[in-house]
Amino acid sequence: MTTSTTLDASAVAPRRSAARARWLAVLRTPVGAGAGLLLALVLLLALVAPLLWSGEADRIDTSDVLQGASAEHWVGTDALGRDVFARVLVATRLSIGLALAATSIAVVLGLLLGCAPLLLGRRGGRLVTAGVNIAVAFPGLLLALFFAVVFGVGMTGAVLAIGFAGAPAFARLSQTLAAGIADRDFVSAARIAGVGRFRVLVRHVLPNIGEPLVVNATIGAGGALLAFAGLSFLGLGVQAPSYDWGRLLQDGLSGIYIHPVAALAPGVAIVVAGLAFNLFGEAVAKGIGLTTALGGGFAPGRALRREETRRRAAAADQTPPATDPGPEPGRPVLDVQDLSVTFPGAAGPVRPVRGVSFRIGRGEAVGVVGESGSGKSLTALAIARLVEQPGEVTAGRLRFQGADLLSGGDRTHRRLLGTSFAMVFQDPMTSFNPTRRIGRQLAEVAQEHQGMSRRAALARAVDRLRSVRVPAAERRAHQYPHEFSGGMRQRAMIGMGLMGEPSLIVADEPTTALDVTVQRQVLDLLAAVRAEDDVALLLISHDVAVVGQVCERVLVMYAGRVVEDLPADRLRTGARHPYTRALVAAVPDMDVDLDQPLPVIPGRPVDPAHQPPGCAYAPRCPLASARCTDEDPALADDGTGWRVACWHAGEVAADRDVPGAAPVALALGERA
Amino acid sequence: MTSTTGVHPATGAGRRGAGVLDGPWARFAVRRGGQLVVSMWVLVTASFLMIHLIPGDPVRSALGPTAPASLVAARRESLGLDDPLWLQYLHFLGGLFSGDLGTSLTSRLPVSQVISQRLPATVQLALLAFVVALALAVPLGVLMGVLTRGGRRRGGELAFSSTSVVLGAIPEFLLGVGLVYLFGVQWGLLPVAGRGGPESYVLPVLSLSLGPAAALARIMRVEMVSVLQADYLRTARAKRLPRRRIYLRDALPNALTSTITLGGLLLTALVAGTVLVENVFAWPGLGSTIASSILLKDYPVVQGIVLVYGAGVLLVNLTVDVVLALLDPRSAIRES
Amino acid sequence: MSELRFEGVSVRYGNRRRGMTAVDRVDLTVPDGAVVGLVGESGSGKSTMARAAVGLTPLSAGRILLDGQPLRHTSGPRPVQMVFQDPYSSLDPRMTIGDSVAEAVPRGMRSADRRQEVARLLELVELDPARAGAYPGQLSGGQRQRVALARALAARPQVVVADEITSALDVSIQGTVLNLVRRLQRELGTSMLFISHDLAVVRYVASEIAVMYLGRIVEHGPAAQVLGDPQHPYTRDLLAAVPGWGSAGPATAPPGVAAAEPADPHAPPPGCRYHPRCPIGPLARDDREVCRTTEPTTDHRHATACHFAAAEPLLQVTGRPA
Repeated sequence: MTTSTTLDASAVAPRRSAARARWLAVLRTPVGAGAGLLLALVLLLALVAPLLWSGEADRIDTSDVLQGASAEHWVGTDALGRDVFARVLVATRLSIGLALAATSIAVVLGLLLGCAPLLLGRRGGRLVTAGVNIAVAFPGLLLALFFAVVFGVGMTGAVLAIGFAGAPAFARLSQTLAAGIADRDFVSAARIAGVGRFRVLVRHVLPNIGEPLVVNATIGAGGALLAFAGLSFLGLGVQAPSYDWGRLLQDGLSGIYIHPVAALAPGVAIVVAGLAFNLFGEAVAKGIGLTTALGGGFAPGRALRREETRRRAAAADQTPPATDPGPEPGRPVLDVQDLSVTFPGAAGPVRPVRGVSFRIGRGEAVGVVGESGSGKSLTALAIARLVEQPGEVTAGRLRFQGADLLSGGDRTHRRLLGTSFAMVFQDPMTSFNPTRRIGRQLAEVAQEHQGMSRRAALARAVDRLRSVRVPAAERRAHQYPHEFSGGMRQRAMIGMGLMGEPSLIVADEPTTALDVTVQRQVLDLLAAVRAEDDVALLLISHDVAVVGQVCERVLVMYAGRVVEDLPADRLRTGARHPYTRALVAAVPDMDVDLDQPLPVIPGRPVDPAHQPPGCAYAPRCPLASARCTDEDPALADDGTGWRVACWHAGEVAADRDVPGAAPVALALGERA
Repeated sequence: MTSTTGVHPATGAGRRGAGVLDGPWARFAVRRGGQLVVSMWVLVTASFLMIHLIPGDPVRSALGPTAPASLVAARRESLGLDDPLWLQYLHFLGGLFSGDLGTSLTSRLPVSQVISQRLPATVQLALLAFVVALALAVPLGVLMGVLTRGGRRRGGELAFSSTSVVLGAIPEFLLGVGLVYLFGVQWGLLPVAGRGGPESYVLPVLSLSLGPAAALARIMRVEMVSVLQADYLRTARAKRLPRRRIYLRDALPNALTSTITLGGLLLTALVAGTVLVENVFAWPGLGSTIASSILLKDYPVVQGIVLVYGAGVLLVNLTVDVVLALLDPRSAIRES
Repeated sequence: MSELRFEGVSVRYGNRRRGMTAVDRVDLTVPDGAVVGLVGESGSGKSTMARAAVGLTPLSAGRILLDGQPLRHTSGPRPVQMVFQDPYSSLDPRMTIGDSVAEAVPRGMRSADRRQEVARLLELVELDPARAGAYPGQLSGGQRQRVALARALAARPQVVVADEITSALDVSIQGTVLNLVRRLQRELGTSMLFISHDLAVVRYVASEIAVMYLGRIVEHGPAAQVLGDPQHPYTRDLLAAVPGWGSAGPATAPPGVAAAEPADPHAPPPGCRYHPRCPIGPLARDDREVCRTTEPTTDHRHATACHFAAAEPLLQVTGRPA
């Protein structure tokens, strides 16, 4: 048991430090540091100011009334000759304290109301939600006025009023956050595991909504501060002889013509304190949001980053080995040589695509396969000149129908690419503009590039929709994307590419989001389009079987490079690169041997930010030798157009003794 | 070809016509109407209950401890406060429908008269502030969104964000005080109180609209940046359309829908903000009246003005939802 | 002995006017120790079946029996456990994987025993028990899915429901999870409802296969029979659509069928639900109007819900021996 207790301890440590690191990271940004400092200062002042300056603030001196700024009174004196600056400082405690009290009321009430739906069950929950929804529609100030009437004019009334007025917003927030968590599968799993509602709330929901709630409470405290100042300013908040900033402001405003600083000083105090809360909350929210949004390969932990900066920067600069683009198939539609895509990373450039070269002949169908993160989609975007800043595309050559896409700006090739180069994207649900009719989205291509009238362009769109077998094309052209099924949208997307006269269709995972029967229809459609007009196709897919079925030639990508370029009919049995063989074997098909375990590829795909030196596949490869980990093999042509980048191309694993390679992968080598 | 183009507009118009009468639009109208009625009822009931929630006798606290008991009793009776609660509620509802909101305790004028005198000034102020806020925020937010898309011009983004955060964090009444100081006291350019010629509108409208404008512009920029990263914007770029067209036709409407969704609360807050701004500028509207009435404990007036403000907020919300439904074809259906 | 039986189960979502019947009068039995594969396209109601079996979705009709007893969801771990599709959402990011698994271990166990049990379960799913203190964020998708399996097993379930457990994983990792599922099922003999849209995956783990279409089960039988001798035209279409290595010729379906859209689950067609897409139905043969009007029963060879299941010769399903 000792072992497991030590394990527990060691496990908690990294998490805690991760949370701490995140907050520290926020404090390290200029905005975060400034806001944090400001907030600390304001809170400190709230603690010590009444102790230090109370006497000065309350000293009445009728001989020194309503004086302007002087060395003795920095911002002058009020109608009773009291030092305004001291009063502003002393008022910090009351102003901040009242704001925090009101915020606590708002947060506690809001949290209770927000979590009630989780505990109350369906009907009661719905009632609470409806009530909150109605209340939240009214602005806080109006609610505060309402409650100020109910609770009475004065300090206590104002605290309650602002607290109650803020509650609906917090209720809505915690409701949304909690509902988001309650929808997650881990909450369902906990329920199935027999964890009760209350325990689910405490163990799963609250910890996961804590961080955003704290951030919003901070921002909310700034809001409460301002609201309080507002109420006091209206005379509904703090009553004399107590004073907060709003009260001082109101006193000062009456004399603004004689003595403007006395009005401005509390105003500045309100703004500064409000900003301190606001900015700090925003900075933290941004810091947290960024870490969750970026995640994955491009944002490794900070400490890690700095250590590896130099090494990785060197690796990115290292030019990939020469790649042979393969034989020239007549006049190629597309000719790509040494295409690379680079993104700036926190620790030097990251290069997810590293020197890709290939050609596509007229009417040829070429597939690109690889695991997620292999750079296949990015390659497609780079070819289409659709990689946006900060991504940077470099290439030795990038020619489409003989035109050099590297030269000239956006405008130069607009017409050529707009009419001859068609793109089909992965997710048909998000690739159409949701607020515009499908027909118009197609028609604008012809309007823009072929100079058609609005009417003629729409007619062409309907014609194109018909040609991609969209039933009732005329009616459907007037519909919005959400009225289309996924398969229909993908057809419309292909139809959009056919508005011009394309010579190349680049389809990036066009069927991944679709059901098999629909996938079949879309693939058949692509085949029909190709056959009809001799259009070339670049089909990107993670599914080896799909590519093998549709394409004539297949490019296999791993870690941003093409590792093998082979005829599709040799994919299944004749592949020479160990990765290609492993990838093919790992896909269960309808003929897989039910008595054998499925072959798997050991290890994990390469993170583009952590490219190893040498062959990127070496750590997972059963054939890997010392040379593989040192030197990246070039993509070499065997003379027939078959290209492989491997020092051990075509070798079988069994006759090599590879320490550390997984037995399953060895068995796979034998199978191939 | 000719036949298809000939049929098109007709079927399109027919479909659209039918769409307004039934289907999603009718459902939207019914649902939204129902929501409005419920919210309205909650508002009316809350403002009715307001008087009864006040601890102690509202009439006694309004007239002060020195008022003779006979006067309090008489006033209570004239307000109907001795009737059972349900009867008072019925009277209140009945009064509402006939436009009778009671009588002011201090001025003895009908509340409806007080409101109708004061309402136009407030509505004018709020509407102008709306227009100014939107006219400033939308173009600025779009421009900043385009300029700072995909992490470009980080310096510009920082400058814009910090300016708008600071401006958005200054409450309208403080902004008002600051503007009074600068334009009235220091430079003496503009009047600082009252409602007169056009120049008297400048400062109140600015102090009411600058904060929401800054916040809205910020939201607009963020939404624009996120829309510019959407898949369908990539599709639009793949169509090789001119950039300006992509921004205005594809990006703007989508960014606007989410901005309005998020910005709706800002616009309702602007309505409430008139209370404070009117007090700064001694603007003869509802806002300055409600504050003084609360202090004078003139509850019927407070009740009436709360009702009007609440209704104004509901109206703004309704407008926002209708605009959203018009801009985004899914929103009418999506909510169900 | 643990047999899971769905009897006339219907699940409706939404209100009366604008609702949809996700699962419609379904009878299905998962025999003791068997793995029943449930296949179908999105919107067919597969996942709703899973959620109904573990009590996450209330039934609107019918009942679910475990060993002949109606399932009751009282306190404590439920006898039917589930593994979810998305390993990134099914583990609480703020809980160690050890705690996540421990949560499902039946209560009333000393904490030392509990820890030992967690270690045993992690070992069972081929994870290093020393990683019990790790957080999900530190694990790969495949490893998370194994933790999810361990959690399901921790509750000592009589039946495990696996809902698309490999579809969020890369192909290179998918195999490890499938191999594990097969090994565990053989070692522990757990009854299992294995849901997937991928026929090849289902074929690999399931002993029986049920095919679902628009909330109805259209064919059900031993895996080898359903795949080798499919009776329902939908099953055949599914099989034909699986991308394979054989040269897949162009579809031989009539033109109306080839371009047919998947039916809307909100408005299922009358009669046989597959008739608007059926290559041997009324679109292909004028004399088969019965498909439009009458819903077929399942009184056929291995329970096929088709009027013409036996009457039609097999469509050529090339290169796919059973």
